[in-house]
Amino acid sequence: MNSPSLLSTINPATEPDKLDSVERAEIDASTRGPVLLFFGTAIFWLLMGSLLGLISAWKITNPGLFDSISWLTFGRLRPAHLNLVAYGWAVPAAIGVGLWLTARLCRVPLLHAKLLISSAIVWNLGILVGLSGILIGDGRSIEWLEFPAYATPILFIAYACISVWTIIMFRFRKSGHIYVSQWYLFAAFLWFPWLYATANILLVWQPVQGPAQGAINWWYAHNVLGLWFTPIGLAAAYYFIPKVIGRPIHSYYLSILGFWSLALFYSWNGMHHLIGGPFPAWMVSASVVASVMMFIPVITTAINHHMTMKGHFEALNWSPTLRFIVFGAVSYTVVSLQGTFMAIPALNSITHFTDYTIGHAHLGLYAFFTMIMFGSMYYIVPRLVGGEWPCANLIRWHFWLSAVGIILMVGALTLGGLLQGLALYDVASTFRSSIEFATPFRVLRGISGFILMGGQLVFAYLFVQMLLKPGSQKKSPAHFDKSDNSSNDSVAI
Amino acid sequence: MNKLPLIFVGIFLTFTSAWIGLVAYPTLNLANVEPIPDEETGGVLPPTTSGMAIAGQKVYASAGCMYCHSQQVRWAPLSTDIAKGLGTRQTVARDYIREKVAFLGTMRTGPDLSNIGVRQTDANWHHLHLFEPRTVTEWSIMPSYRYLYKTQKISGQPSNDAIQGLRGPHAPKPGYEVVPSVDAKALVAYMLSLKKNYKLPESPEPTAK
Amino acid sequence: MSSPNTPQEEPFNESQPENDENIVKVHASIIREREEPRAGYEPIPLWLITVFFAIIFWAGIYLAYNSGGFSKEVYNPELVSWQGGGASVSVPPDPKVIGKRLFTQNCVVCHQTSGLGVAGQFPTLVESEWVIDAGPDDWVGDNHLVRVLIHGLGGPVQVKGVTYNNAMPPWSQLKDDQIAAILTYIRSEWGNNEPPITSEYVQTIRELTKDRTEPWTQKDLKAIPPEKIQELGAAPAPAEPATTVPAAQPAA
Repeated sequence: MNSPSLLSTINPATEPDKLDSVERAEIDASTRGPVLLFFGTAIFWLLMGSLLGLISAWKITNPGLFDSISWLTFGRLRPAHLNLVAYGWAVPAAIGVGLWLTARLCRVPLLHAKLLISSAIVWNLGILVGLSGILIGDGRSIEWLEFPAYATPILFIAYACISVWTIIMFRFRKSGHIYVSQWYLFAAFLWFPWLYATANILLVWQPVQGPAQGAINWWYAHNVLGLWFTPIGLAAAYYFIPKVIGRPIHSYYLSILGFWSLALFYSWNGMHHLIGGPFPAWMVSASVVASVMMFIPVITTAINHHMTMKGHFEALNWSPTLRFIVFGAVSYTVVSLQGTFMAIPALNSITHFTDYTIGHAHLGLYAFFTMIMFGSMYYIVPRLVGGEWPCANLIRWHFWLSAVGIILMVGALTLGGLLQGLALYDVASTFRSSIEFATPFRVLRGISGFILMGGQLVFAYLFVQMLLKPGSQKKSPAHFDKSDNSSNDSVAI
Repeated sequence: MNKLPLIFVGIFLTFTSAWIGLVAYPTLNLANVEPIPDEETGGVLPPTTSGMAIAGQKVYASAGCMYCHSQQVRWAPLSTDIAKGLGTRQTVARDYIREKVAFLGTMRTGPDLSNIGVRQTDANWHHLHLFEPRTVTEWSIMPSYRYLYKTQKISGQPSNDAIQGLRGPHAPKPGYEVVPSVDAKALVAYMLSLKKNYKLPESPEPTAK
Repeated sequence: MSSPNTPQEEPFNESQPENDENIVKVHASIIREREEPRAGYEPIPLWLITVFFAIIFWAGIYLAYNSGGFSKEVYNPELVSWQGGGASVSVPPDPKVIGKRLFTQNCVVCHQTSGLGVAGQFPTLVESEWVIDAGPDDWVGDNHLVRVLIHGLGGPVQVKGVTYNNAMPPWSQLKDDQIAAILTYIRSEWGNNEPPITSEYVQTIRELTKDRTEPWTQKDLKAIPPEKIQELGAAPAPAEPATTVPAAQPAA
């Protein structure tokens, strides 16, 4: 669209240009190196991070476990777990999916992929340095920013390169139409470096005085979820749902409303982690209001996705991609509405400071974001290596282990957290009872960790198979529903 | 929305609004809070802390105490913190001006520590608790911090620093004693310094039940 | 849809791949793909817009009541009105409120917020004959109670028929009015209903026992005849504290 008028920019009457399969194959091939490298390292750190999470989960019910080893103390394992799954797994997975989507949607091949390969190596080096820093006791005890001051510049440099390179693709895009996924991708790749730089300058490199730190800390920590992981996850959902079922997104107008309300309200949410904390009342109240307002983008997006899927739910029977993505999209609605309720002070006074919050975090980062990343990888990886997933049954195992594991984990933490919170709130109740109420649920959580790791190991096995045997003998895609193979083979996984 | 620059302006402005409210505002208003004079003693509030206590903050961060212990007292009826004896008033910005990192915390897997220096005033108690938490509180789920302590043979006079009254499986054999490392001493000094029982005008104590 | 199990609804938008020579280089999975996603143009439902405006309206009201006037000095939105920052209105100190605070700081570790103590370790204060006047068999007077606080208590003691053997530390570092406030509080809380202890009375007992260094034992105390503060003509009748001082809050 070349018309300069403002109206034309919101004119819906533009269609994406046709993308033929040769061009598409070229673009996909150009992203092969960096995307596979990001995916591979992400899966490795996911396994490591989950292992650390599993050990910390068991340490909380067995405090004597490894208790004389300084680098295995709970207060180091827990931040190591969080940082590995957040920066080792989730960020590279998001970058990989984001790069691939951006290249396809902008219709430009990725140039100079070596730069991104180097960035990926530097990023993972930063993760390794940061992880060692936490384990030897240099962790900063600032949630989501535990990596010591000597690790974060490495990560920032790597990320800045990636971000610039992705934004450049937007600059050189071929299609006049900008699809909804691209809005989210563009915003996410701009927001994250800004977030990361601000938080590191004010909290790690030149720390401001104590009283101001909590606000900046939670502004950052919540926006990593809201303005980085969430947009990438939604971009993937907005791309893969219509792609797999082959029909347009329900409503362009709902997409617009959902995007802008998310941008405006999510960024204000952070202070709801500090309700009652030592901050001026208006800051907390502003975050409470913004958290309730999150109802708007969440319901809008949920309606948009649901109406797109309507009448096509049978596709969940055969498409692994769609099954993971839809699980993630539904979880997004659930976790966001839960977040809205948790921010209401009357309910927050029970759930605050308890395992309930941990359950909420896993619902967001695993049931929503990680599941969408799994789904995206099931679609992307075959197109990069030129082969098909070796075994649909293993994909089915991966899905059910992940789904059951995360539902068990979130359910246990939610119930245990509620009991713990009621005991903490009740004046007549002792502190001891808050521990005793939560303990059986914490054991369940530990068990759910094994189930989740089982699913991850299956996925890692499948991924390694794809890398080792590209162009495998298997000709048809790995669909779940074998009886229906003939008709489905002609469409995407 | 087919104009990239317009989208850019939009995502820039929405993000900036929160950046001003939640980053710039606290940086300008909460990062230069001064202590106030204490009319009773002629000192300042909050009181200054010792160098050992400041060193202890680093140990606190390094051991990750913050992941289970909060350091904030909230107002009623939002919370029952004050009724439960965690403090006498809500904690406010000025309470944290001595902290290099404000360990507000988001979990109470263990109890709140805003006023642990008021509740437990005995350094030896803290050492016993850190060395083997279950000798002082049998149902505790806190991990042991034995790696901050050294068991050594008593040569000549027993050390003045040795922990008194150790029991349990990790108690020293006869002729041996357990002494705290510098880190352990700093951590305990920090624990003892955690007292938010002075009065601040911006945080009135609740006057009615 | 021709068949419910056939996801192939849209025609493929490929440029006749079978005629393209380059197609051999393209992976099978990419040929299979459907066209790139597009947007449909269904309108936003009216009910959704209504709900959103309702939420925005609520948000305005909530902020008006809970923003603390957007002041950086206001931490508890319930304590202030639009008129000013956390105004501190001076009220006559209520010994029960002060006593509750001191009790919370010093006593709840053993006797618990509930006053019930810990079974077998720390005795209860609720309807305990040590705290209230429990009838003709009660040998513990108010003078004993004050002595226990000043010098502590050790050895076996009987409370409500249960024997405890633990040590209560002395609280002589507290000032007379603080000890009086704590005792007044525990004698009027949890259903206990006894007259207040005055700081003058605490001062009298402290004078009487100033030579003592050991904590009291039950045997020592029993040797002292009981006194009831309301029967002492010497001690001035304490001013009845305001039963419940209303919170000095400007209407929010």
